[in-house]
Amino acid sequence: MDILKIALQVLLVLSSLFLTMLILMHKGSGGGLSDMFGGGSGATMGGSSMAERNLNRITVGAAGLWFAAIIGLGLVERFN
Amino acid sequence: MLTSFGRAFRTPELRNKILFTLAIMALFRLGSHIPTPGISFDLVKKCQEAATGSGSLLGLANLFSGGALLQLSIFALGIMPYITASIIVQLLTVVIPRFEQLKKEGQSGQAKMTQYTRYLTIALALLQSSTLITAARNPSSILGGSPATCSTIMPDDSIPTILIMIITLTAATGLIMWLGEQVTERGIGNGMSLLILTAVAASVPQSIWAIRDQGWGKFLIVVVMGLAITTAVVFVENSQRRIPVQYAKRMIGRRSYGGTTTYIPLKVNMANVIPIIFATSLLSLPMLVAQFQGSSTNPPKWVEIINTYFARGDHPLYMAVYTVLIVFFTFFYVSITYQPDEVADNLKQAGSFIPGVRAGSSTAKYLSYVLNRITTVGAIYIAVLALIPLIALALVNANQNFPFGGASILILVGVGLETVKQVDSKLQQHNYEGFLR
Repeated sequence: MDILKIALQVLLVLSSLFLTMLILMHKGSGGGLSDMFGGGSGATMGGSSMAERNLNRITVGAAGLWFAAIIGLGLVERFN
Repeated sequence: MLTSFGRAFRTPELRNKILFTLAIMALFRLGSHIPTPGISFDLVKKCQEAATGSGSLLGLANLFSGGALLQLSIFALGIMPYITASIIVQLLTVVIPRFEQLKKEGQSGQAKMTQYTRYLTIALALLQSSTLITAARNPSSILGGSPATCSTIMPDDSIPTILIMIITLTAATGLIMWLGEQVTERGIGNGMSLLILTAVAASVPQSIWAIRDQGWGKFLIVVVMGLAITTAVVFVENSQRRIPVQYAKRMIGRRSYGGTTTYIPLKVNMANVIPIIFATSLLSLPMLVAQFQGSSTNPPKWVEIINTYFARGDHPLYMAVYTVLIVFFTFFYVSITYQPDEVADNLKQAGSFIPGVRAGSSTAKYLSYVLNRITTVGAIYIAVLALIPLIALALVNANQNFPFGGASILILVGVGLETVKQVDSKLQQHNYEGFLR
């Protein structure tokens, strides 16, 4: 059980770092504070580029891995 | 009303957008209930049962995370680091010339500032998660209760475990930011504000239901009052002063352009929840400082003063300071975000003018005159709204996150209206009703 736990922890750390890096690589959308609390014009036009779409796919994958590691660690903790 | 709901779901594009948004919101709520690895959920629950409804210190932050903060779940920090980062970047536009330049650049400058906000968010998340985890090693300080009933919530508080927790919480904050951006891009409405809405709305049923314990009569009165307040807030949120603007007629080639009349809308409540966020955070600072002295048996004089006047929101002095701060921050924020000089300049460049006012500096003067008058009303309105939870705290003993006032209702109504407006405009693109029906 200990080996599984350590493996999951390593996976969690790696996927966390990877996920944060991927998210910072995205081009942000949204226009600041006044946009957030009303008063914004909203309606951003234009689709995303091909690079952005591939990045999205990888991000979803990394997020899934990250989530699985957390759930796994929770289960190990529960049934230990 | 209901038919337009039906129509929204019968339009494939809009249906997909709405379902996507709902799915992200559900995911956000799900993450708010999954405990961070290394935190024992059973122990957290035990601590919360032992606590006696204190912890106003983290009230607003907890509200914005939908109760996830005090459960120390993976989305504990929620959207708060992003809000803080946005506020900082917004304030920096006044201080740092480079940021001011970026703001003037328009679209590309805005994109760059968003990028700075994102980096700052991750940095703040790292800082805040470290603070949270450090505080959680001594859980009675944030969860309330005594150290005897609630000694620890971490079965293992060695350095590696703590580092893992900090990294996980930081990554979770990044993920929330990304989810919000995805909603903005592919869903409906502004993703960030919708996630705040989700978190705030999640605590509403619980806080209303808590009032029922004091009898059905009180519960009924509160619900009726709440509906009345909501109606009033919807009314004020939609009100604006329209300053007429006349465009000059121009001949370009054989065509004539312009010559139309439009208006500059000035909202009554332009600053929205931001003054409340500022004032609350500022007022929680003395409490925070006093807490370091809390354990000593013979506290100094100033700690006693803070504990009597600023620990709970129902003291008159607290209310007075709170009101003054909110009025101040309303004017402060409006003066930062809306510059009459710039608007007057833009009008002049577009060859338009306000009827009866000369272009240039007298237009700027007129605009700031109108703005000051409307902000006065707006500031009083925000202050009154922000006092409602504190009064409710005194009258019906509701908890700090009383849903029908303060930041909660402004967010619920403001974001809700904005989103409904967007759905409506999308709907009109698909089936336009025409003039007669």
